[in-house]
Order: sequence, then C-alpha cells, then structure tokens
Amino acid sequence: MKRKKGWLPVFLLPAVALFLLIYAVPLVIVFVSSLFDYRLTGDSMTFIGLQNYTQLFSDATFRQACGHTVVWILIHCIIHVSIGVILALVLYKKPRGWKFVRTAYMIPNIISNAAMGMIFLNIFNPQYGVVNSILKAVGLENLTHNWLMDTTTAFPSVTMTWLLFAGYTTTLVLAEALTIDDSVLEAARVDGATSFQTDMFVVLPLLRKIIGTTMVMAATYMLQMFDLIYITTKGGPGSATMNLPLMLYSVYKNENNYGYSNAIGVCIVIAGVVCMTLINKAMRVNEEDY
Amino acid sequence: MKTKRILSLLMAGALLTGALTGCGSKKDDSAQSGDSSGVITINYPTAQCGTNTSAPVCDELIKEFNEKYAGKYEIKKEDVPGDQNYIDKIKVQLGTGDLPPVIYGGGYNLLDMVVAKDLAVDLTDAVNSDADWKALYSDTALATNSRDGKIYASSMEGQVIGYFYNKDLFKQAGITEPAKTWDEFFQQCDKLKAAGITPLSMDTADSAWVTQLWMGAMVGTESDAGLEFMNTMNPTDYNTPEMIAAAEKIQKMYQNYTTQDAIGGKYENAANNFLSGQTAMLANGPWMIGDFSDTSMAEEGFADKVGVALFPGNFVYDAPIQGYIVTKQDDPKVEEAAIEMVKFFTSAEAQQTAMEMQGMVPASNTVELTDTAKDKYPLLAEFLDLATTEGEKRSDTLQATMYSNLLDVMSQQLPLLASGELDAKGFCQTLTDAAAKNQ
Repeated sequence: MKRKKGWLPVFLLPAVALFLLIYAVPLVIVFVSSLFDYRLTGDSMTFIGLQNYTQLFSDATFRQACGHTVVWILIHCIIHVSIGVILALVLYKKPRGWKFVRTAYMIPNIISNAAMGMIFLNIFNPQYGVVNSILKAVGLENLTHNWLMDTTTAFPSVTMTWLLFAGYTTTLVLAEALTIDDSVLEAARVDGATSFQTDMFVVLPLLRKIIGTTMVMAATYMLQMFDLIYITTKGGPGSATMNLPLMLYSVYKNENNYGYSNAIGVCIVIAGVVCMTLINKAMRVNEEDY
Repeated sequence: MKTKRILSLLMAGALLTGALTGCGSKKDDSAQSGDSSGVITINYPTAQCGTNTSAPVCDELIKEFNEKYAGKYEIKKEDVPGDQNYIDKIKVQLGTGDLPPVIYGGGYNLLDMVVAKDLAVDLTDAVNSDADWKALYSDTALATNSRDGKIYASSMEGQVIGYFYNKDLFKQAGITEPAKTWDEFFQQCDKLKAAGITPLSMDTADSAWVTQLWMGAMVGTESDAGLEFMNTMNPTDYNTPEMIAAAEKIQKMYQNYTTQDAIGGKYENAANNFLSGQTAMLANGPWMIGDFSDTSMAEEGFADKVGVALFPGNFVYDAPIQGYIVTKQDDPKVEEAAIEMVKFFTSAEAQQTAMEMQGMVPASNTVELTDTAKDKYPLLAEFLDLATTEGEKRSDTLQATMYSNLLDVMSQQLPLLASGELDAKGFCQTLTDAAAKNQ
C-alpha cells in the first residue's frame, strides 16, 4: 500500500500545475498590480504602494458596494439557506410527491443567470411587467413601481431574483439528512420526542456541517454575484444595487484603471477568506460530532 | 510491476501535457503575411455583422476589396456580435499591445486610447500624397480623425441627426408643424399630453442614446458657450449654465412627457414605443429610416406617417463618425495592406455604396446624394436637404465627445435625475467628478 501511495504526487502534479497557472499566478499578479498605478492608456506601471487602497476606502461608491455585498451575504446565508433547509426537512419526511418537488425546485437553479436576469427584467418591467399588471388588475395601481429603477425598490427587487431559489441547498441538505441512521430517530421517538422536537433537536444538529457548507457556498456566491445585477440594473439607479464585483468590472471597463480594479479584487478575495473562516468557526464545520 | 510504473508515469505526463497545451501563448494571428501564395491576409474583427445595420455594407466592401486585390491582399472578416463585445475585445488587445491591423473607432472613441498607447499609424503622409483621399476630408472630418496635427483615422460615415415625429399623432393634437423653439416644443408636448398621447420616447440604459440627443440639442441651442461646449472634445467641466439648464429640462421631460419604461429602458424600448405609435417623437439618426417600412418592426404604412425635423433652434447633429484606424504591426507589409483597406473602405465609391445600400450618410460632403438613394430613402433626402438649408447650429453628439467612462455614469444617474433624488446641479457635478477621473 505504501509503495502505491508513492505515485500520488505524480498524479496530483497536473492538477497542482493547473491550479498554479490558472489561479495562483493570476492571484499573485492581482495582488502585486494592485500596488501600482496601472491603466490601459498609461505608458507604464508606477509603484504607488497602498495608494489604491487608501483611495478605495475614501470612495463613497466602494463603501456603498461593500455595504450591499455584506447585506446580500447575510440575506443569502440566513434567509436563502433557511428556505432551502426548511424545504429539505419537509421533503425528508417523504410526503406525497416529494420527488417531484425536489426535482421541480431545482429547475430555477439550472436556468442560467443571464436568462433569469432577462426573465426578471420583464417581470419587473413598469409598462408590461407581470408585477405591475397584477397590481393594476386587483385595483392596487397606486402601488405600481418602476421596481428596478426606483431607489426604494431596486435593492429588494434585485434580491428577489435569486433569494427564493434554494434548490442546491435543499438537495445537499436533503441528501445529508437521508443518511441519518434510523436508530437515532427511533431513539428520539422512544424518548417521546414530537416530530418538531426531533427535527429541531436531533436532525438539525446532525445537519450542522452541511448547513455550514451551504452557507459558505451562499456567501461566496454573493461575493461573485455579477450577471443577475448587470442584466437587471447594472448597479443602478445611482449605486443603489452596486456590489463589489460590479464595481470592479465598472472600474476596469469604464475607467480602464486596472490597478484600482485589482485592489477591489484583492478586497473580494480577503472578504471571501474572512467569510469562510467565520462561517466555518460559527458552524464548527471542521469539528467532529462524536 | 515495472510496466505498470512506466504506464503510470506516461499517463501522468500525458495529463500534464494535455492540460498545459491550452495554456500556451500564441502570437495573435490578426495579420499574416508571406503565406505560401504570397497573399497578405488582414484578419478583420468587426461588430458590423449579424443584425447590425452596417453588416451588409461591410460584407459588400470586403467582397469588392478582395476581388480588386485578388492575389495581393485578402480581408478575412471575424464576426464580433455586439458593439460592447467589440470594444471589450479591442481594449483587451490594446492592453497586450497586439491589435488587429484595422480597427473601427466608430462611436466608441477608441482613437484616443490607441494614440495614447502609441499604436496608431500616422496616416498624414498617406492622405496628403493621395489627392482623392485628401479631398474627402472636410474640416470636421479632419478634426474628428486627427490628434496633435496628425491624421490617424479616416471616416466613411457621417451622422446627421434630428428627430422623427408621428404626423398622425401631431394632427390629433392639433399640431401643424414641428417646433422652432424649445418653448414651443414644450407647448406641443403639453398639447400631445392633453390629447392622451405620450409625447416623447426616452431612455436611460446603455448610455441613454435617445435622451442624450435631446440633452445635447438643448445645450447647443442655449447659447454660444453651449454650442462651443458641444464642439469640445472630452469636456471636463459639466457644471455649466447650459448643461444645468438642459438637465432641468430633461428632468421635466422624464417626469411629464415620456413612457413609464423610459427609466431603465434601452434604446430598443424607446424605438419600439415610437414604431408602435405609442409616442409622438423620437430623436435618432437617418439609419433608422429603413425600420419605418419594415413590417416586422412597424405596421404597414407607418413610414408614410413619419416626418423628420431639426431640433428647435435649428440645431442639427452633423459630424463625421470617427473612422477606421490603422494600427502598428511588426510587418510593414501588413501596415501597407491595412492602409489600402482603409483607403478603399472610405473612398467616395464606398461611401456611395453605403448610402445606397443602407441609407448611411456619407462622411464627406463631396459625396452627393444619388437618385437611387433619393428614391429608396425619400425621408433621408428630405432631412439632408433640411439640414443643409435650415440647419444653423451644428455639433457632434454629447456621447461622442465625452470621456467613455461617463457613458455608464449617465445611465446610472439619469434615473436619479428623473425621480428628483438628484437635481440638475447634482447631476452635472456627478458628470464633472467622473470626468476628473481621466485626468
């Protein structure tokens, strides 16, 4: 067995080489170039130390984008994951048609974000969109809005484009729940626990690790969220729906300021590491139960 | 065992080689010379493909060029659908310093970036040594395509822009002719509104092309300083009385005279509202004229209902669109081929072809409207005549002269102006702040 393991590094080499080339090297370039005044139209790169970062923290748009990103991460980790977990707990009891629901609930997750963005762009259209049409039909015309372009409704409207579709969370949590040994549940029943008590105090704690994992996935998904916002509002009106990836793209594309946009990229990477660490700690993902 | 080990090693090697093959760098093959047949190939990425209105003209010119220079030069077209995709592609290549031999500056103002990177070929000598080519450059075309006294580009297309109006809807509101002043214009908007007709098509998304046309016309007619502002390349200060006054009027237009979907809407929404008879006026260029008789876009006979007018104050957008740029290449033969291509694409014959095929306005005022074009596009003929005889104030568009980062800022801030969260002064200050980022 020992001799066979000796070959492992050789087979790992392609993956490691690819990782270094595709992720590690660009990551280092991003870190290093964020310390330079590096623009498309500039003649050369000039070392400016942490100037891009000091400028970032005094940039009102950046502060707004950070705030939105944090709020979206919290909403996604708490509400979105909760929706997925609750549905998984319901399906776990295998009610009639549970397989159909499990499959049907995944459908929005397999539609590309670009297509979902277009769908919601039309749903929220102020002139012919479904939302305003329904409001008009039930006599609530005074509640109609330009949902995606009104600063009071843009943020929640964009949030709704992904909030309810927790198919991945449901699938992962359900798969984990189905592996729970029946004897554990049987013991709870023998001790007189109700169905709700079993869910709350037996099943849910046993799902802690997978819920932690889905929270990490939810947080990183929000740190990467770009396409749905780009298609629906492009971060507007004003900066009402601006987040960090969109700001990075905007600085890169419109201002051609690569150094500054890479500084935003570094902030996203750091935010990702912080999120993962905090969630792993809070959910004790790396700790054994018994 | 030994065979297994060798096999394992080979497999691991194959995996690594296979994985890394795709990561190898390869010199951009946008231009090639000296192939076996001796033909110099110019790979030409362009957004003028697919549904782009200029695509048929581009294809025709490539066909004619390849026939004329058969055995010597050959253009190979690379389709890059979508203007934004084209700009992004060129910017990425600009970053690597490896541009295709010919790029199209168009309405994207790519020239400044290419010149800043010292990658544009100076065409001054080539143009000056060719009397026919030089004759096609008007003063405005020269200004559009030159930097620091050197010619870096050549235009094929001009833009003469006013606004279209729906004669039936005007009649319903009791309006007999387009407004001559802005006061009269707003009175007509009130009349249309009173008749239950939405007066204006507007937008905010994708740089708010339609809205910017209205705004620029207001700035250009406000005062001489306003007109001078409109003719200034890359202005840095938008806190001018003319811009503030125009922003106030735009705010009024958003709040009173346009459709609900204008805020957040794209050009396509604005155009559809006009083509479907929901709005009475739309600012846009003559390239749209073909759409009026296209039954997939408008009802049968819609073209007969459309009239064309100069903006109030006899203002007309009249400027050549930034043209084709030849970029520096390692092989001088490729540069020569690219110069020939640009000369061919911007020749009087090419401008005439574009006019007759798509109703495109020639960049040069020496290229006259042909009978074929007049028969095919009578509205174009009418408008060009109107622009020549009555146009008093002329400039390029706001969009063409502003720094490119302001285009998105416009789209982001106009909804706030429309809702009243931002006043005209605040809006202009935001533009000024964004322009300062280019300093």
